Amino acid sequence: MDVAIMTCEQCETPLEKGDLRCSVCGFTAPLAHHHVVVEKKQVLRCTGCGAAIAYDAKRQAPACSFCNSLVKLETIEDPVEQTEGYLPFTVTSDDARRALQAWLNSLGWFRPSDLTSSAQIRELKPLWWVAWAFDADAVVSWTADSNHGSRRSAWAPHAGQSQCRFRQVLTSASRGLSQLEASRVSDGVNLQQVHSEPMGADDAVIEQFDTQRSQARQQIANAVYDEAKQAVRSEVPGTSIRNLNISLVVTGLTSKRLSLPAYVMAYQYKERLYRVVICGQDTKFLVGNAPYSVFKMVMVGLVIGLVAIIFLGIAASS
Amino acid sequence: MVSNTLQSTKEQVEISCKSCGSKLLLSAHQLSTVCPYCGSPSVISRPPSEDIPSPTFVIGFQIDRERASELARAWLRRGNWLAPTSFKKALPNLIQGIYLPVYLYGTTAHSRYFAKIGENYTETETYTTRDANGKTVTRTRTVTKTEYRSLQGQHATYVMDVIVSASKGVSNAKFQEIEPYDLRAIRRFQPSMIAGWTAEEPSRSQAECFGLARQETHELIQRKLREFMPGDSHRDLQFDTQFSREFIDFALLPVWCFAVRYSEDKPPIQILVNGQTGRVAGKAPVSAAKIGSLVVGVLIFFVVIALFAVLMGQG
Repeated sequence: MDVAIMTCEQCETPLEKGDLRCSVCGFTAPLAHHHVVVEKKQVLRCTGCGAAIAYDAKRQAPACSFCNSLVKLETIEDPVEQTEGYLPFTVTSDDARRALQAWLNSLGWFRPSDLTSSAQIRELKPLWWVAWAFDADAVVSWTADSNHGSRRSAWAPHAGQSQCRFRQVLTSASRGLSQLEASRVSDGVNLQQVHSEPMGADDAVIEQFDTQRSQARQQIANAVYDEAKQAVRSEVPGTSIRNLNISLVVTGLTSKRLSLPAYVMAYQYKERLYRVVICGQDTKFLVGNAPYSVFKMVMVGLVIGLVAIIFLGIAASS
Repeated sequence: MVSNTLQSTKEQVEISCKSCGSKLLLSAHQLSTVCPYCGSPSVISRPPSEDIPSPTFVIGFQIDRERASELARAWLRRGNWLAPTSFKKALPNLIQGIYLPVYLYGTTAHSRYFAKIGENYTETETYTTRDANGKTVTRTRTVTKTEYRSLQGQHATYVMDVIVSASKGVSNAKFQEIEPYDLRAIRRFQPSMIAGWTAEEPSRSQAECFGLARQETHELIQRKLREFMPGDSHRDLQFDTQFSREFIDFALLPVWCFAVRYSEDKPPIQILVNGQTGRVAGKAPVSAAKIGSLVVGVLIFFVVIALFAVLMGQG
């Protein structure tokens, strides 16, 4: 686990070990230990054989031309990082099964009548999926067109600037869950309880973070941008909005890597498999797909068509 | 490491090679050299002075000498079809691979802007015209019109990764042509990174570089604001930007320098190759003869077309 060693002097974002510059605002990270440079000239010698060393473009590091050993340099570190904590499963697999049945029952009339009785659960897998939870403050400048104050054109321009605070916003890092699935089931978790070990399910699949730090930061930055855009939408006057542009100055961006509990289920109905994901802490948060009854939909379509023809007939004759 | 006293003048520095003891003369801005007698690379570290700081960052060469020469030759052959043939056939003469002194600049930019935002709308208008029989008729058509509304507001953004050349040998405009550098490969400066290569100290003052960086940032903000404006179009964009929390770092970036001498009586042309990405830039000369023949060719083409039209008309 990486501990932030200091924060950026400009935007208060924590710097991690191996950062030479702040990832949010580009400010230079201070040297860990200052040393005084005195005027001198050096012939740099290999520690192995004592020959003079020179920088080698092919190997992108200083190298000794005799014994080929490389000199280690301080570069930007870009590791693949691991989860910092697990949120426990509080829903059992039986609860998840019952939630699926209840959900299938609640889907409504357009579904096949035998859906609940014929659907067979083929797979039920507890999964710790991965996400980042971030905190940030941001000055958001925005412009947009809306119908408010419009004259001849349907649109009028507006602009504004506001301070946004984001606390514990989740953004998915998962490859196993789709964006839609992740955003739906993430609403049901309690971010206050984080354990250092997996808890509540023994046989759960544990998804790993597989992005490098630089890419992770990019994804988090995109999430902050999307979140800010969503937040200032309500500040634009009027009811219809277009061309919403924002510019951000983010400060104090911190993020945690978390593993969140979910059940991934597959059920079979008439030869086909359907997938459902249920939040591992609250079965109300469930997302999935289910078949429609083609027969029922065609019948309704026919009835509507028939009624329309009758009405048109009446209207025409009168 | 033992430190030797250096006899420094304004123009040149004399150092003695630590390996073989021979005396070497370096120009005052040079940071490293290779002894011509024994081949030992030397790096000079000076204490930072007010105007010449010590380097903070460095990006290492990734393009080696052979690859750089290939890229420069390829650039000469293609893409400059108006250049004299002697230029395209000339062999680029490698001057050196150099760690160019640059300043990396960043700031927080707060701007106030005013603009006229164009919002389109459609109107149906009537007009009169003549129909096929020559009668005057009135018809309607839909036209798109633009209504301009004024908008003012504030814009704030971080600006980072603005790089300006601190060397008098390479103008900032020229340097911009071989940008960008991938700053993810940046390293904290260590003397061993420039060992065996030529590196320069800044020959432009920090104040001058600050000015250049602010100018580049101003242009960047203008581009950002243009994208930021709502509406279907905009005009009369005015803005006033305040820079706060500016920072500037001295860095060394890899550049291959070539000179092309294609004619006895013309000055050589400088070609730069980005030592990290291999991007080539230079200002190719234009051949007067080629321009002349192009103009004549275009004229002949139009004359032929005109003649053809006249003949067709008569026929």
